Amino acid sequence: MRLWDELIRIVGPRFVSREDAVLSTYRTDAFTLHDGDPALVVWPRDAGEVAAVMRLLYARGVPLVARGGGTSLSGGAVPPTAGVVLHLSRMNRIVHIDPIRRLAEVEPGVVNQHLSRAAHPFGLYYAPDPSSQQACTLGGNLAENAGGPHCLKYGVTVNHVLQADVVLPDGTPVRMGSLTAAPGALDELGALIGSEGTLGVIVRAWVTLLPIPPAHITFMGIFDTVDDASRAVSAVIAAGIVPAALEMMDPLAVTAVERGRYRVGYPESLGAVLLAEVDGESGRVSEEAHLVEDAFRRHSARLLRRAESEAERDLWWANRKTAFGAMGLLARHYYVQDGVIPQSRLPDALSAIAAVSRAYALPIANVFHAGDGNLHPLLLYDDQKPDTVRRVVQAGHEILSACLALGGSVSGEHGIGIEKREDLARQYTPAELRMQRALKDAFDPRGLINPGKIFLDGR
Amino acid sequence: MKDFQVDTSMCVHCGLCLPSCPTYQVTGSESESPRGRVVLLDAVREALSSGRTPDPTAWGALDHCLDCRACEAVCPAHVPVGHAVEELRGLVPGRPSLLLNAAALGSPSGVRRFRRWVRVATRPGVRRILRAGTSLPAPWGPMLSLAGGAPTSQSAPSQEACRESGEGLGVTVRFFWGCVMEGLYARTNRRSAELLRRLGYVVQMEDAPLCCGALARHQGDPEGARRWARSIIARFEESGAAFFVTNAAGCGAAFKEYGAWFREDPEWAERARAFAGRVRDLLELVDLKRLPVPRRTAPDPVTVHDACHLVHAQGIRDPVRAILQRVGIPVVEMVEADLCCGSAGIYNLSHPEMARALRDRKVGGIPPGVTRVVTSNPGCLLQIQSGLRERGLLVDAVHWVDVVYDALWSGKGEDRAALG
Repeated sequence: MRLWDELIRIVGPRFVSREDAVLSTYRTDAFTLHDGDPALVVWPRDAGEVAAVMRLLYARGVPLVARGGGTSLSGGAVPPTAGVVLHLSRMNRIVHIDPIRRLAEVEPGVVNQHLSRAAHPFGLYYAPDPSSQQACTLGGNLAENAGGPHCLKYGVTVNHVLQADVVLPDGTPVRMGSLTAAPGALDELGALIGSEGTLGVIVRAWVTLLPIPPAHITFMGIFDTVDDASRAVSAVIAAGIVPAALEMMDPLAVTAVERGRYRVGYPESLGAVLLAEVDGESGRVSEEAHLVEDAFRRHSARLLRRAESEAERDLWWANRKTAFGAMGLLARHYYVQDGVIPQSRLPDALSAIAAVSRAYALPIANVFHAGDGNLHPLLLYDDQKPDTVRRVVQAGHEILSACLALGGSVSGEHGIGIEKREDLARQYTPAELRMQRALKDAFDPRGLINPGKIFLDGR
Repeated sequence: MKDFQVDTSMCVHCGLCLPSCPTYQVTGSESESPRGRVVLLDAVREALSSGRTPDPTAWGALDHCLDCRACEAVCPAHVPVGHAVEELRGLVPGRPSLLLNAAALGSPSGVRRFRRWVRVATRPGVRRILRAGTSLPAPWGPMLSLAGGAPTSQSAPSQEACRESGEGLGVTVRFFWGCVMEGLYARTNRRSAELLRRLGYVVQMEDAPLCCGALARHQGDPEGARRWARSIIARFEESGAAFFVTNAAGCGAAFKEYGAWFREDPEWAERARAFAGRVRDLLELVDLKRLPVPRRTAPDPVTVHDACHLVHAQGIRDPVRAILQRVGIPVVEMVEADLCCGSAGIYNLSHPEMARALRDRKVGGIPPGVTRVVTSNPGCLLQIQSGLRERGLLVDAVHWVDVVYDALWSGKGEDRAALG
């Protein structure tokens, strides 16, 4: 039987497509510098259909990529040539919320924010909050080990997953991790989370929920220079506080978000905006709040405000979290980098980025998780001429080299994907890369799951 | 290149719009999402510019757009996907729904006829016949199914003088009757006017058989829509009223866009902008402090369906809840309160399958224990009520004006006499 007919037999005729128009919408995710050329899209309904489809594709040697919200910024969901997109959008049920054990059992297509919303009546929430949380899905969050502004205090995705059901490349279902927190000999779940969909397809996950902190205070600090703001960040950390979030935006980023959907009304001609949030028990929170304010004042915050209401706090965060999308108001395309540097080297990193901006004549906006030194420089450009794209990519590589030179890393939370394969090869030694390659090969000897990602060898 | 005026080039493919899109929620397909539509839009525009017939799958996915504006409301870069689809609709030939629209609502006499036709559907005997026909092929089956959502006959009583209006505000407002509202919900219209008076406004009725133009616009007939707009604007200018008020979310959203409709027309641009600035949904004129304290206690809880053209297009979400709370009616929120019910102008006739899927999803999200779904748009009222009837649920879809009116004033005798 032909592949097409067999797929129809598994998922039904409505849930497989090979039409050009449909395929054209699956060529990229939120990373648009590279596109793929898929042959088919399949929308499985449950784990059984995923396993059946994968067994079939394995037998025929057809490559595939699993896709959720398609919000990857490194090309994680860009499909392999002539491959199959396994779009898990129909598998979007929150199966169960257990308020006693504080965990949720979810299908991979559940939107991150929807889980927190569903947990809210129990006084619980799901802590990792990528900026795309209104659209990104938990399957993708696990695959990419997603972070977010509030991961400074609460840790990234891997710190919040207990167990996952995974379909291996040959279609074998396996369960990784455990609800009883008794670790096995080798942490296979740890290997899976952050493997960018290259080891298997996650079909169900059990994640921890946290109690909503009884109190929180959110601050906005306006600084005349990035140096002042950076020193204020260092002072907060040095004071022994772990803020729930500590975020910075530079003037160009502020220009974009202020034209966007959620306008805060930031003052004109600023050097940097710092957003900080402390949360926890109310007594502790007010102590920490004073320390944060003190640090901001000592480093010449021109303006220092506390959010006066939940609505104001939500507005500040919505403004910050839609920064990438709002770049469309400054230029037709952007390329966002994801380098990490030791937090104390922020001023050096920003002057290096400014130098790249001048050398390549490219405007660069900066939005970043200042608390843990995770930078998101956004390189803005208008046309997709090969020459422009080459220049943009080259500028991006230079920024990451600068991060490495400052003792940092090429990726904080967006993944390697297609985008940072070369940079990864610069960060790690050949022996380290061989080790990672061996892990991939152990799971996927035929190289069928999300091939061409992470490693430069094209497999 | 053909001259397409709606620019979507600011889309950076971030994907934040996807969960807001009703058709993506139903199908799970990227091609039925706003971001997918931006990709397809480029392809269809290119085909049209070079004189080729657009790929039917691409055009079909674009045409599935409900114009609900949910994606536009969440887009960080204000990408006007719905508006871009609307513009294309007029350029792709062979759309039967366009004819339907032109026949029913193309002129004042059409509107008059339309109001009479739809009123027929509210008669008990006719309703039984309608119910029998719901399984007919499209567009008849869906049309009859929708008609099954019409309220029982609401006679249109003569205008009633103000009885116990509060202290006057000395502000004159012009209240728009609309086509579907006046055809099916004439009593709600009278009560709306009465509510305005009791809030202290001097009320003029815009009772001429006029359409806001939204249906024509959604179906890709911008000139037809502008014809309506010109007469509405001119009549408002002559009226001397301070505000132009509607209780229909779809009409309000259209009125507020008049400025954009005439951007290229030097003669009308300024007038349209000025008019749009005077448009208010009735919800925006309710000063809570001027509402009396409710006389009844512990009524049944209600739930709110946010009409797309109120919440997404006009950004009005909280006022209806605040008003209900003020008049003592408990609100239990439904899931996906701001997801489209599938009504969307005449979408439920042109795309019955998608419309039905959304309707059933909406009705399925009503929390247990509520007896009324409160909303603010005639299309939503019809659509949701038809879904409730088909499921045999003892829940009614009602305009918020009726809920407030019942809570504050009805049963005092005067209401029955004055307002039917």
